[in-house]
Amino acid sequence: MNLHYSGQEIVPAPKAKVWAFISDPASVASCMPDVIETTVVDATHFETKVKIAVGPVRGSFTFKVALDPQPGGDRMNMTISGGGFGSVVDLTAGADIKDNGDGSTTLDWTGDASMRGPVATIGGRVLDAQAQRVISTTFANVKARVGATG
Amino acid sequence: MTTTDKPRHAIGLSMKRKEDPRFIRGRGRYVDDIVLPNMLHLALVHSPYPHARIKNIDSTAALAVPGVKAVLTGKDLEAAGLAWIPTFHGYDKQMVLAVGKVLYQYQEVAGVVAETREAAHDGAELVEVDYEPLDPVVDPFEARKDTIILRDDRENKTNHIYHWEVGAREETDKALAASDVHIKERIYFQRCHPAPLEPCGGIADMNPATGRLTIYMTSQAPHAHRTVVSLVTGIPEDKIHIISPDIGGGFGNKVPVYPGYVVAAVASVVLKVPVKWIETRTENLTTTGFARDYHMDVEIGADKDGKVTALKVGTVADHGAFDAAADPTKYPAGLFGIVTGSYDFPHAFTELDAYFTNKAPGGVAYRCSFRVTEASYAIERGMDLLAGRLGMDAVELRRRNFVGKDQFPYRSQLGFVYDSGDYHATLDKALEAIGYDTLRKEQAECRARGELMGIGISTFTEVVGAGPSKHFDIMGIKMFDSAEIRIHPTGSGIVRAGTRHQGQGHETTWAQIVAEELGLDPQNLIVEEGDTDTAPYGLGTYASRSTPVAGGALALASRKIREKARKIAAHVLEVAEDDVEWENYAFTVKGVPGKTITMKEVAFAAYTNPVPGTEPGLEATFYYDPPNMTFPNGAYIAVVSVDPETGETKVKRFVAVDDCGVVINPMIVEGQIHGGLTEGYAIAFMQEIRYDEGGNHMNTNFTEYLVPTAVETPVWETGSTVTPSPHHPIGAKGVGESPNVGSPAAFVNAVMDALSPLGITHLDMPLTREKVWRAIRDAKAAKAATA
Repeated sequence: MNLHYSGQEIVPAPKAKVWAFISDPASVASCMPDVIETTVVDATHFETKVKIAVGPVRGSFTFKVALDPQPGGDRMNMTISGGGFGSVVDLTAGADIKDNGDGSTTLDWTGDASMRGPVATIGGRVLDAQAQRVISTTFANVKARVGATG
Repeated sequence: MTTTDKPRHAIGLSMKRKEDPRFIRGRGRYVDDIVLPNMLHLALVHSPYPHARIKNIDSTAALAVPGVKAVLTGKDLEAAGLAWIPTFHGYDKQMVLAVGKVLYQYQEVAGVVAETREAAHDGAELVEVDYEPLDPVVDPFEARKDTIILRDDRENKTNHIYHWEVGAREETDKALAASDVHIKERIYFQRCHPAPLEPCGGIADMNPATGRLTIYMTSQAPHAHRTVVSLVTGIPEDKIHIISPDIGGGFGNKVPVYPGYVVAAVASVVLKVPVKWIETRTENLTTTGFARDYHMDVEIGADKDGKVTALKVGTVADHGAFDAAADPTKYPAGLFGIVTGSYDFPHAFTELDAYFTNKAPGGVAYRCSFRVTEASYAIERGMDLLAGRLGMDAVELRRRNFVGKDQFPYRSQLGFVYDSGDYHATLDKALEAIGYDTLRKEQAECRARGELMGIGISTFTEVVGAGPSKHFDIMGIKMFDSAEIRIHPTGSGIVRAGTRHQGQGHETTWAQIVAEELGLDPQNLIVEEGDTDTAPYGLGTYASRSTPVAGGALALASRKIREKARKIAAHVLEVAEDDVEWENYAFTVKGVPGKTITMKEVAFAAYTNPVPGTEPGLEATFYYDPPNMTFPNGAYIAVVSVDPETGETKVKRFVAVDDCGVVINPMIVEGQIHGGLTEGYAIAFMQEIRYDEGGNHMNTNFTEYLVPTAVETPVWETGSTVTPSPHHPIGAKGVGESPNVGSPAAFVNAVMDALSPLGITHLDMPLTREKVWRAIRDAKAAKAATA
C-alpha cells in the first residue's frame, strides 16, 4: 500500500535556526509523537522506538531514520524504515526550506510511505488518518520547539 | 430424501454419525491436543515483502530470548538438501525457507524453535532479516509480458508456466463464426481460500534410538505424504510413520506439504526431540494453498432457436510464486475439460496458460475435483448470458441443450465419458420444489413496482472420483484406493481405508457399506483411517474421491469376505457350496426354507470351526482401480432480492436437488450439501483473497476474510434424484463437493437476473453490497445520460 502526503508549515524562526534544528537527529526525534526511546547513531542517523496502535496492530515499531541534508541548506531529505509485528513501513520524505524574509521560514514537505504486512491490511482510511496524525504532530512540534528556543 | 425403493439393511439409512459423540463432547484428538515428552515448539518468520533479495539474516537477538533453542534458515536447510522440495505434481519445486530471494509476502524465511510456543513467537519477532526490495508482479496479465522475471532459479527465463489445451480449435472457431448468436465474456473466479477452522499443523518426532520419524500432521493424504517424505529426504519409507489424527476441516487445504512440516522435521532430527508446529490463522490464509484464481474468456455460439453450436474457453491462471497447484500429474489444469457441463455441444475447445506472480502459491482443489468448480461456474454463467442474448428463459435454454438421458454413456467433445444422469428430471424436480412459474409471475409484479428480484439456475455436472490408474497419478503414484476389513469371531470388526476423513463421516458411512454387504451391524464395525502403519495404502480424501474410489474398495473387499463366508456357511450347514445363496443378508440353503446362517455365526465358525484345508479367519483387502470417473450433477435454484439503495442481496429461497447416485446416508449427504452451499454462498457474496498493487495480502484474518455464521446463512431446501453410477460397485457417485461446485453460479445468476432491468449483465464475485451498489449507481447514471 502506497500513501502520499504533502503540506506546508510556516515556522516563526529564521532559516538558519530551522536548518540547524532539523539537521540534528536528537531534535528531530524529540518532535515525533509516541516515542518510547531514541538512540542517536551518528550525526545523520538515529533509531527510535515508537508506540503504535492501528486497529488490531498494537505494540511498538522500531524505525531507522536517516537524515540527508542537501548541499546549500535549502532541502532536507529523510528516509525512515522499520516496523514490527511482521509489518514494514518505508517512508521517504523531503522538505524545501525557504526564507520568507520576515524572520519566518516555510517548509514545503512531501512524503511517500509504503506499508507492508498486517499494518497494510487494515486499510487506507485508518492508516491514512494515523499517518496524517504522526506527520502533522511532528511538524507542529518542530514549529513549537524551534519557536520556543528563539 | 429417498434413495432406492428396495429396503436396505444399512445403506440408505440416516444413521447418526458414530464420530459425533466425541466431537460434541470435546473428546476429539486433533494435532494440537497431542503433547509429547520434551516437545519443543516451532514458529516461522515471514517476509513482509512480496519480492526482495535477502541480504542477511541475523538470529542473535532471537537466540537470546529465554527458552529459544535454535533458529533455522534456508541455508541450514540447503546443507540438509531440503531448501527446496518438489511441488504437488512434481513439475516445479518450492522453497521451504527462502534462499536468495523471497517471492511472496508472508513467505517463510526462518524457523525459531523454543521450549514454549510463546517463546518461539517472541524469538521469531526478533530475527532480523535485511531485505533489498524488488518490484513485485501481482497481475498475471502483467506477468505474461515477462518484463520482470520472478523465477531466476528456473532454466526458462519466463513467468509462463505452461500451456494446456483440449478439443478442436479450428472446428470450434468455425462453428462460433457461423453461429446465429454469440456471447463472449471475461468471467473471473476470484482467488479464495478453503480456510478450514483448524489451521494446519504437525509434530515431528525423530526417535534417535529407533531411527524412526513419526509425523503427526493435518493430512488429507497420509500415505502419499509418507512416500513424498521418503523420496525427498532419502529416509527409508519403513522408517517414516504418518499419523493424521482428527482433522477440523480440510477442503483441499491439507493436501499439499507446507514448509512448517519440513522445518519441524529437520528441527526434530537436529535436536533429537519432538517439535510441534501449529499455524496461526494469518499463516493459514497467507501462505497455504489458495483456490481458483482463473480469468476465463467464455464464448458460446447458438442458433436462433437456442441450440448451442460451440463453446470456447480461454483461461489465464494465476499460480503465485510456485507451480504448486494440486492437480493430477497428467492434468495441469485439473479436470477443467468438464466445462461443457450438462450440455451437448457439437464443438468445443478450451486452452489455459498459467503464470507465476508474487503471490502465495497454491491452486488447491477447494471442495472441488480439480478445477471443476471454475469450469462449472464458467459454463453456468455463460448459459445465462446466452439466454439473455437470445431473450429466452434460462430454464428453457438449458432444457433444449441438456445431454439426454438416453445419450449416456455420453462422450463429451472434451473427452470425458459421462456415466449416467437424467438432467431433465432433476431440473423438473427443482422447478417444482421452488414453484418456478409462480415465481416468474411474482418477479414480473416486483419489477412493475421497481423492485429487484432475481431467480438463478445452475444445472451443473461434476467429474469426480480420480481415478482410473491409466489416467490419474500424483508424482507417479496411481490414484486407486484401498480397504482392509477384519471380521472378529463375535461378528464385529474393524474397517480400514486409505482415505482420511475431515468431517465427511467415513466412520459411519464406511461401516454402512460393509454392513450392507455383509449383513452385519454397522454399530459394531469400527472404522480407522489416517495411520500409515495400520491402514492400507491409499491416496487420501479430496476431490470427492472417497466414496467413488475407497467406497468401491470397501464394497469389493466385503464381497471377497462374503465369498469366503459362503464356503464356511456350506461347511457349517453341511451342504455343497453351490447350494448356499446370500439372501436377505444371511446365507440360506436353496429350497430348504429356514435353513439359514447369519454372517455373525459364520464369523464365529471362521475362528472356531474352520473349513478343513482352508485358511482360518475372516478378512480381506481390496485395492480398487475404478474403470471411469463418476459424474454427480444437480439443479440448484436461488431466489434473491436486491436492495437498489444499498446493494444488499437477500437470498429468499434456495433449492438444491442433487443426483449423487445411490445415497449411503441421507442425513450425512444433506449435511454435506448444507455445508457446501454455505461455502458457495460465502464465495458468491463475501470472500476474496486480494493483493494490493504493492503485493500486500489484504485478507489476513477472519475480520478481512469473512466466514458466514448462522445469521448470514440462508435456509437450504434439499432434494434428490438417483441415477446410479453403472460402473460403481454400489452405484454411488460422491457428493461432498457438488454444492460448492454448483451453487456460486446459481447465486450470481440470480443477482444478475435481478439487475437485468438495469442493463447489468455480468459482475464478478464476490457480490458485495458495495460492488452491487456501485453497479446499480453506474447503470442508473448511464441510463439517465442517454435519456
